[in-house]
Amino acid sequence: MNTIIQCQQLAKRFGSKTVLQQLSFELHQGDVAALIGPNGAGKTTLFSILCGYLRPDIGNARIFGHKAGSSALFGKVAALPQDAQFDPAFSIGEQLDFYGRLQGLSSKTAREESKRVLALVDLTEQLQHKAGALSHGMRKRAAIAQAFIGAPQLVLLDEPTAGLDPVNALHIRQLISRLSGEVSFMISSHNIFELEQLCNNVLYLENGQLKQHSNSDNTVQQLQHLTLHLEQDNSDAISAALRQLPGLIDLHCAQRRELVLSYNPQHNADFDLAVLQCLAANGWRYRNLTKGQTLEQKLFSPV
Amino acid sequence: MPKLIMTLQHAGLYAGFELRRLWLTRRGLMTLAATTVLWFFLLRYAIAPASDLIASEGFQQMFRDVFGAFGLSQLFAWPVPELAIYWILSLLLLPLLCLFFTANQLCSDLERGTLRLLALRSSRLSIVLGRFSGQMLVQSCLILLSLVATLSLAAWREGGLTLAMLNAAAIIAVNLLLVLLPFTALMSCFSAMVRSSRLAVSLAIVSLGLAFVLLSTFVFYFPDFLFLLGYMPGTQVMQLLPMQGWQTLQHAMLPLLQTLVLLSGATMLLTRKAL
Repeated sequence: MNTIIQCQQLAKRFGSKTVLQQLSFELHQGDVAALIGPNGAGKTTLFSILCGYLRPDIGNARIFGHKAGSSALFGKVAALPQDAQFDPAFSIGEQLDFYGRLQGLSSKTAREESKRVLALVDLTEQLQHKAGALSHGMRKRAAIAQAFIGAPQLVLLDEPTAGLDPVNALHIRQLISRLSGEVSFMISSHNIFELEQLCNNVLYLENGQLKQHSNSDNTVQQLQHLTLHLEQDNSDAISAALRQLPGLIDLHCAQRRELVLSYNPQHNADFDLAVLQCLAANGWRYRNLTKGQTLEQKLFSPV
Repeated sequence: MPKLIMTLQHAGLYAGFELRRLWLTRRGLMTLAATTVLWFFLLRYAIAPASDLIASEGFQQMFRDVFGAFGLSQLFAWPVPELAIYWILSLLLLPLLCLFFTANQLCSDLERGTLRLLALRSSRLSIVLGRFSGQMLVQSCLILLSLVATLSLAAWREGGLTLAMLNAAAIIAVNLLLVLLPFTALMSCFSAMVRSSRLAVSLAIVSLGLAFVLLSTFVFYFPDFLFLLGYMPGTQVMQLLPMQGWQTLQHAMLPLLQTLVLLSGATMLLTRKAL
């Protein structure tokens, strides 16, 4: 599998504050990686290093085998940097054209490309408008559009849907989902629901360190999970009945009406059916039964 | 694509974009308007009356008697007095105006993060070179416009335009651009350091003043190092004032070298800067 991002022992300090320490990970072609962590965890610093905006104090970050920020990556790596804005003196179209020209496109192709990427974010009609005349959400979408000029192989998105209305946030998620086969993504967001939908790889940063690096492809087969949402509050009787099921390893109450059941599929391949039969036999109603854990549970629950 | 060609191509694109900023944006048109107003007043109230005075034989004789020893009588060698006055005014004024006009080469882009979008597509060297070249192109346009206005004034008074006048205008334009090169490069450095063009101008003025004072003090105690003062940006201006004709280009090497050093500094500053 081709490695697209390779970080080794990255460390970065700002004054006396250590922002990143001994950060090492790899991402492969086709990955859609989520970068999660509390405020101040070092997500934006890591993004800045990968984009070449910042230099690490120690360690190195390589993308497609080249040093981050290298000229060999122009056009291959695109990004939505946090808080980067367009020049208010020129129209969005002029600036996208210019970015296209910098990426080696002819004037005509650059203009077509500007129209194409603006259509991706539903901003075709804003081509002639200046950035200052657009709303915050529109500016954000235009900034996302610039990341898709040409044919980038890796797109780094820092908070892509923050500040967008639900409909446009959905459009952006759909866009990422649609392109994720041909383009690799790394997305930083606080919206776990969004990352869960889009990403197959999770990097959880805390205090500048990588606390978890999980990949949906290498799930441990000996342990699987079911998330059960009940229509009634959980009771000792329900828990006790479910604990009797063969194959169950652990059961814990994630919320008042939500149970997470961990089981070994090799001991009971039809564990989900057994759960449903148990509920039916006792007349307990449920709202939904989901295979696996939510990303939130994976990252923050004790199991 | 070889790196150098890509850098030059990107620099060319940046320079072209700056030229569009002058002619097609509100801010650029304001710059043009300010320049027009400034040169209108200079032409109307300085160059035109002074030209009439200089053209008189009595004044020329008096000037030769007083300033002849300083070589300033060479000013009468210009084909028309308008160009002589333009030469003096622009040599003294434009370096100062240049500090203001070219202060925003990178500051605003740094402040609003636009540089992050650009740095994903081009090297920081090409950004510095492109913005610098763009500012030089913009200043060339402004110099050409003001020279055309001065030539028009001279042609109106003389009753026609001569080849000698055009040649003199070309000499002036080339020399002015050479004088402005290190000042524009200096502003590249300061605009790569700070996120506000006002701060960049203040820093440039303070730094130039401080450097001059410190160097002068040093030279006072160590007179053998007097030659160091000659390396300050713009020091050749005083030598150029009494000169005319293409011989003025004998002072071209110093501003070119200063520009090279300052642009290297600006590139280094921007390369090391966190965007």
